[in-house]
Amino acid sequence: MTGQDGVEQAALDWATRTGDPAFAEWETFAAWLEADPRHAAAYHAISAEVAEMTEAVAALPAEPTQREGTPRRPDPRRWMAGALAASLVATVGIGAWERRAQPYAVETADGTTRTIALADGSSIALNGGTKLVLDRRDTRLARLERGEALFSVRHDAARPFRVDVGQDRLVDIGTVFDVTHAPGVTRVAVGEGAVIFNPEGEKVRLDAGRALRSGADGVVVSDVAAHSVGGWRSGRLDYDGAPLREVAADVARALGRPITVAPDLAERPFRGTIQLDGITRDPAGLGALVGARMQRAGQGWEIVATP
Amino acid sequence: MSGLEAIFLSHRDALLRFLRAHGAGDAAEDVLHELWLKLQAAQTGPIASPTGYLYRAANNLMLDRYRAERQSSLRDRAWSEAAGPVVPDRSEDPSPERALIARETLAAADAALATVGERAARIFRRHRIDNVAQKAIAAEMGLSLSTVEADLRKAMRALIDARRRIDEA
Repeated sequence: MTGQDGVEQAALDWATRTGDPAFAEWETFAAWLEADPRHAAAYHAISAEVAEMTEAVAALPAEPTQREGTPRRPDPRRWMAGALAASLVATVGIGAWERRAQPYAVETADGTTRTIALADGSSIALNGGTKLVLDRRDTRLARLERGEALFSVRHDAARPFRVDVGQDRLVDIGTVFDVTHAPGVTRVAVGEGAVIFNPEGEKVRLDAGRALRSGADGVVVSDVAAHSVGGWRSGRLDYDGAPLREVAADVARALGRPITVAPDLAERPFRGTIQLDGITRDPAGLGALVGARMQRAGQGWEIVATP
Repeated sequence: MSGLEAIFLSHRDALLRFLRAHGAGDAAEDVLHELWLKLQAAQTGPIASPTGYLYRAANNLMLDRYRAERQSSLRDRAWSEAAGPVVPDRSEDPSPERALIARETLAAADAALATVGERAARIFRRHRIDNVAQKAIAAEMGLSLSTVEADLRKAMRALIDARRRIDEA
């Protein structure tokens, strides 16, 4: 009979092999598991430990922390590798090897989400179709290039967390807040604490339960249910009068399918809650929910007026 | 009935045996039923290797069960140890993200990967995070499959050892 070290080694070997999406020798693996109950126990423990640590590795910056004075050569393969990864892509930003700002981008494809834990205990949850640029040197700064992110920020009065979005800047005051950015429109909703919108400009303070919309027609502040902020993470989208085109963009991001809105409906306001579960099972159901009709359009759908 | 369901039925006994080998014991029938429900709920396109797909799904279910048990016991321990550094739900923390990864785990993962060398660390990320097959990584990096496997084992070993040091601390 194999000793405990032998079991441990064999379990690691099987965990390595079964972890491969191409693994096919399930019957051989089953026979190994059956041979001794310690085999399954060791395999389960190793797999769980690797899974937990993999989550941690995924939350780390895409490259190991760089030591002072040892600039790393950019590896062109890494760029290609990033472009190839289908579901989520973490690429190294331009200038990552420069001494000052060390930006790196974290992106999610439509229909996927990802949470990044920052070293200071803050975390950022990315909705689908989102691109966020962080800085290894200045970990209290983020730039939302597109999509939606929920920031849960550990407050430090000496080093407030800032989010740049479009031409605007948000500064936290101990906070959970959600930011959405699409060309020409930025939306902010505060779940806990408070945020200052453009401290150098409009200087609008948003407390928990307040939301702001900044677009071509200026800045509008409204109320929002504080507990619903970031609801997309549990598959729940709440709206209080957002135009249908924004609702459609949110749902499309979450589902990973294009959803467009007929021009005559694009600005129609929507109030209500969308459960993404239901919409995933039955995209046509979105039509009834918003008082319109869904029509197949290419890979996705178009929301059109009911006849 | 879909092709996958037919293959499920013809492999029913083998899958049950597989679940028992995984230590499912008396729960094996329940787990098999759960697997059946999951297959019906998942709207999948054509699957290249349906038997492998079924075994993988069964394997994942057993790993999920084990992980859920392990995490609840770790959580119980964290709660009973009271004011640990990462006890969730402390009111001063802005933490809707209950599953926030403990900072010590992040640091340990970072340090562990730093010990295995850049190539092994990169292979680990490509495989486990980007979910690229080992053979594809070998081709991409111009290495043999056995080198990729050996690097993966090395990275996993380092991460497992780091994880155990945290759990035992």
